[in-house]
Amino acid sequence: MKASTSTIWTSEQSQKPRGQKWKRRAVLKALPFGFRISGFLRLSDFGFRFWASLVLVAWPALQVQAAPFEELFREGVAAYRAADYAGAAKAFRQSTTVQPASGTLQNLGNAEWKLGHTGAAVLAWEQALWLDPFNMPARMDLRFARRAAQLESPELAWYEVVSTWLPANWWTWIAGASLWLAVGMVMLPGILRLRKAAWHQAVAALGLMVFLLSVPAYLGVHTRSRVGFVLQKDTLLRLTPTLDAQAVTRLAAGEPARLVRTRGNYVLIRTNRALGWVEREQFGLTTG
Amino acid sequence: MSLMLSQPKIDVASEVKATAVFDPPVVRPGEQAFYRVTFNALEQSIDWPEKLNASAGLEMSRGAHGEILRMTGPSYAPLTAINYRVRSAGLGEFDVPEFQVKVYGKPVTVPAARLRVVAAPPSGARPAQRVLLDVASTNLFVGQAVRARVLLAGSGTGVVQGLGQVQFSGQGFLVDLGGVRQRIEPMLDRGARVPTFVHETTLTPMVAGKLSLFAQGFSAGNQFFGPIVITGTATIPGGPPQFTLLESEPIELHVRPLPTEGELPGFTGAIGTFALGPPKLGTNVVRVGDIVKLAVTVTNQGEGPLARLVAPPAPRVRDWQVFAPSDAAPAQAVPLAPPGAPVPADMLVGVTTFIYTLIPLTEQALATPAIPFSYFDPQRGAYADLTIPSVPVTVNPGAVPGDLPAPLQAGSPPVETEKEPALSRLATSPGRTAGSLVAAQQQAWFPLAQLAPAALFAGLWGWDRRRRYLEKHPDVLLRRKARRSLHRQWRTARRAAQAKDAPRFATAAVSAMQVACAPHYPAEPRALVGSDVLALIRETGGNGRAGEVVRRFFTVTDASRFAMTGANATELLALEPELERVLAQLDERL
Repeated sequence: MKASTSTIWTSEQSQKPRGQKWKRRAVLKALPFGFRISGFLRLSDFGFRFWASLVLVAWPALQVQAAPFEELFREGVAAYRAADYAGAAKAFRQSTTVQPASGTLQNLGNAEWKLGHTGAAVLAWEQALWLDPFNMPARMDLRFARRAAQLESPELAWYEVVSTWLPANWWTWIAGASLWLAVGMVMLPGILRLRKAAWHQAVAALGLMVFLLSVPAYLGVHTRSRVGFVLQKDTLLRLTPTLDAQAVTRLAAGEPARLVRTRGNYVLIRTNRALGWVEREQFGLTTG
Repeated sequence: MSLMLSQPKIDVASEVKATAVFDPPVVRPGEQAFYRVTFNALEQSIDWPEKLNASAGLEMSRGAHGEILRMTGPSYAPLTAINYRVRSAGLGEFDVPEFQVKVYGKPVTVPAARLRVVAAPPSGARPAQRVLLDVASTNLFVGQAVRARVLLAGSGTGVVQGLGQVQFSGQGFLVDLGGVRQRIEPMLDRGARVPTFVHETTLTPMVAGKLSLFAQGFSAGNQFFGPIVITGTATIPGGPPQFTLLESEPIELHVRPLPTEGELPGFTGAIGTFALGPPKLGTNVVRVGDIVKLAVTVTNQGEGPLARLVAPPAPRVRDWQVFAPSDAAPAQAVPLAPPGAPVPADMLVGVTTFIYTLIPLTEQALATPAIPFSYFDPQRGAYADLTIPSVPVTVNPGAVPGDLPAPLQAGSPPVETEKEPALSRLATSPGRTAGSLVAAQQQAWFPLAQLAPAALFAGLWGWDRRRRYLEKHPDVLLRRKARRSLHRQWRTARRAAQAKDAPRFATAAVSAMQVACAPHYPAEPRALVGSDVLALIRETGGNGRAGEVVRRFFTVTDASRFAMTGANATELLALEPELERVLAQLDERL
């Protein structure tokens, strides 16, 4: 009798770690890759528990952060469909504050347009394209708005035009990754004592080529970040950054300009035809 | 010019007089009254102040304002009225004092007026006369026409007045002035049927959102502006009319934009419920190049009026040239069912006809092309298909050349290949996200992110150089390893000495000396004997005492290891200071 009990006990003991092992594998599979690597490097139970606990604690926090952003987006859509454009614009703006997103900015532009805020609408659509140049509705909205309000598009240099082909941040990562790929393919075979192969040099050359090609776009992103849009109707372009300054001209809402410098409550901007100062709140940069 | 000269003049030369009254002059607390100022002048000539001075506690908000021209002998006398809605929660007498405004550039005094707010107004006091605005539906879609009625109830004795200059005040809607209908008919008012003047028209909201509007008009006595239908018994007052500007309570329309989802081809803005009659072709046998007319009737079956209906555009097909109707026939009020029944007075149902002109281009055409058409049904909140179906037809060869289609198609209006830009639909998902709109390269962390791979590669390079160096100089590693072992055995010896564990102390001391000397030969540490250690001590100029210490330690440990009788290691504990010095010398040599 004792023997059988002992046998059963032994069986349970032997199965328990196996079950834990399977559970652990399942959890590891569910974890992001980075956590799996960490789990692999720390094979001790403590390491596994630590990372699992971290994920379990952090995951709800991430969900809490994501929830208001999408909830606000849905609120905005509902308000827009109920023709409450002011409420929709407010919700979309709050959503972009939490998490800038191309679709949210596109909808914000629509709501602002319905409210008659041409400048804010153009800025929102431009920001949507800044994040996602493949957002065709936002592109069509801009074309529609510029035709309706008789506005010009920003004048871009060739390297700035190139930078509009992909999302702004992509160029940065492409340039960085390709450069370090080229460096790595030159250095690593020697360090790792691999026999030098033609493909090492080919990949290094490819990386260098991509890097050199992406540099102009990288610079274009940098200069495009100074492009902004006039937000208010009949904005005075002033000769000096003072309240009583002589007016150079009046700018229409949505007109593009480049930020030159800032001084106090005024910004010096260069439009397609003139250079002058406007109040800071009358001008919005694409980069926020 | 003669027509203009024949028109009566507008009297702007007479002395301008102003009147100011509260209507009614006595009200209960919270009851609304009107403060009404009238001038015998054109409205545009009055320089009206933005705010009026009034007794504290009297709420005043701007109401209707309007102008009407009265025929007085050979000329028109203008009359302008400005209304304020007033209300007081408390009892008492409230004054709007006398003030001056400029009319035609000259000062005109507006007399003072007083409103009494009492708990119980005297019997026989009548409430302010006002009009009622009745809109069939207040929840609408943009472009959805809705019937609106302005009602002026008559008195209990059957006396009813007309309304002149009826207007709708508000923003964001169109009023169909061409479709105005006026009538007098008995209607229920406070439980009694009284003759009521009805001014009926159609409103079409043009913008989405909440639209506030109210109706206004001048009571015009026995004057009626336009044709009027009188049903039942009504008494029209005689004598010159007293033009009083009346207004309704504001109402709010909730206007939603048309959904973009589910829009069907051929939608031209038709909103309501419509039915399509059978399309009628002028003839079913035509020749190539002949003109044939296709007529189709659209009947309004909804509750809303059939205000405007735009015909669907003509389709472009291979075998036909189709011309869209230049203008649809105006909507006609018609009875729905049964045929021949009188048209309900309160329903503006209607029918309109689209007439398309078609020219067959080949004899292969067997039927007229279907013409896509659709409308938006506000009841269902969805688009409905109303495509005009094909009609079978026989096309015979004509006198025109066989290659007619080419020149005809070439001469037809060009098709717009590029779609006209329009405001897009809402994005249904947030789309591509980013942590910030600021470019990554301009973030503070970006240089660090770029330095990380640089540091990694620099580290790898440094590690590789070091590795290659050590490969060329293996003694460095050997000495390092020996130094670590020496220190480990040294610590063990110290702990054994503290614990008075003499055998362990002796073993650890000997091991320490062996590992410290091993790199100098090189040899396996355990293979070294005391003389090997002594050789190094001597080389370093060790004195006799150090050599003695080494010998004694090796003697004792060798004895304990190889002799049958173990040696006494206790005495070695006393040699710990000398051992320290020996080990320090050996450590220095490493």
